[in-house]
Amino acid sequence: MHRNRWAILATVSSALVLAPSVSYGQGGTLTPFDKLPDWSGVWSMTGGTVFDTATQTGKGGSVTPGVREHPPYNPAYEKIYTGHLALRDEDRYPDVQTNCGVPVGFPRILNLPDAYEFVVRPDVFYIIAENGGNTMRVYTDGRKLPAKEDTWGTYTGVSVGHWESDTLVWQTIGLKGSRDNDSILDRTGLVLSDAAKITTRMRKINENTLEAKMVIEDAKALTKPWEVTKQFRKNKPGLFLYDYGCAENNRNPVDQATGKTFVLGPDGKPAN
Amino acid sequence: MNFLKKVGPVAQVVAVAGFAMQPVLAHHSGAGFGTETREISGTVKEFQFTNPHSWIQVNVADASGKIVEWSVEWGSPNQLGRDGYRPATFAPGTKVSMKVHPMKNGAPIAGFVAAKFPDGKTIGNWDAE
Repeated sequence: MHRNRWAILATVSSALVLAPSVSYGQGGTLTPFDKLPDWSGVWSMTGGTVFDTATQTGKGGSVTPGVREHPPYNPAYEKIYTGHLALRDEDRYPDVQTNCGVPVGFPRILNLPDAYEFVVRPDVFYIIAENGGNTMRVYTDGRKLPAKEDTWGTYTGVSVGHWESDTLVWQTIGLKGSRDNDSILDRTGLVLSDAAKITTRMRKINENTLEAKMVIEDAKALTKPWEVTKQFRKNKPGLFLYDYGCAENNRNPVDQATGKTFVLGPDGKPAN
Repeated sequence: MNFLKKVGPVAQVVAVAGFAMQPVLAHHSGAGFGTETREISGTVKEFQFTNPHSWIQVNVADASGKIVEWSVEWGSPNQLGRDGYRPATFAPGTKVSMKVHPMKNGAPIAGFVAAKFPDGKTIGNWDAE
């Protein structure tokens, strides 16, 4: 009996030692700078802005009529997506990013044109996307993910990670999903719910390529985990990144009432 | 055109190829632009080298001789700048011919395809369409 009790205790203790697989923190031990991989430089996403090209059908980009992806949506979210696709085909899907007001959020921050910097520090990992501009933080200082009741839904959520050799593994919760119709994954109209939980494994697969493999779980929207991979190529050294004042001269605002994207003439009035 | 001389032929090829690889009009849907290519010729009024997209304002004479101001949308200045383009690339007063994708409703607004200057220098793939 005692032996069994000790066996159970040992099992539980082992589970606690392996806490990173649960909490995604790294137990308060910081990985020193010299043990971290070099992800310096300027990077650009490869391919266009279709979020999941592995399941894409139809030829073209995310705004091309007929193009769609096939996440393992349940019937309710498939219906939502089908509705968005129909609007997209009529050029009336309202992408609020076009009004330059809110962040793109996660995981769309890994689905942007222009340039990226990936800043690796012992305590935190930053994704700095020039487009937007958009920023995301992944804490690697040993903290644990907050309890669900301590999250309230934000565009990039809350992320905690740890290093497994040269791979950064992090989990993201607390996403707002499509609650206010202002968080989407791409312009085909892919959305997730506020129940989304995303586990990302990011590493260099060669000197010039970073890869982020995401496993998206969403009990409200998906029937099974959805795996999506994005890659980033390293640009030539010495490039400058700049600020990106989206509202500086936005001549393509979206009418939120109709979803229509305006094209403003030189007089500032819609030409369409 | 000084910038093209400055960056040299190899960089010019890289610049054009780099531009071609970018999802240029990623900010919005390209709403209203058709797929038909049209050539226009005129004088640069202004190059709005601004985010999220740059706009080239060109005064073009229509069939009756009336001057019409065209708005030609191009990429973000950030990416164009990294590809070697500058605000002076389309200096006011410069004569230019452009291949563009005009709006389907006939408004003088279009997406940029390529440009050709009087000295024969080109930007974009002038011969492709």
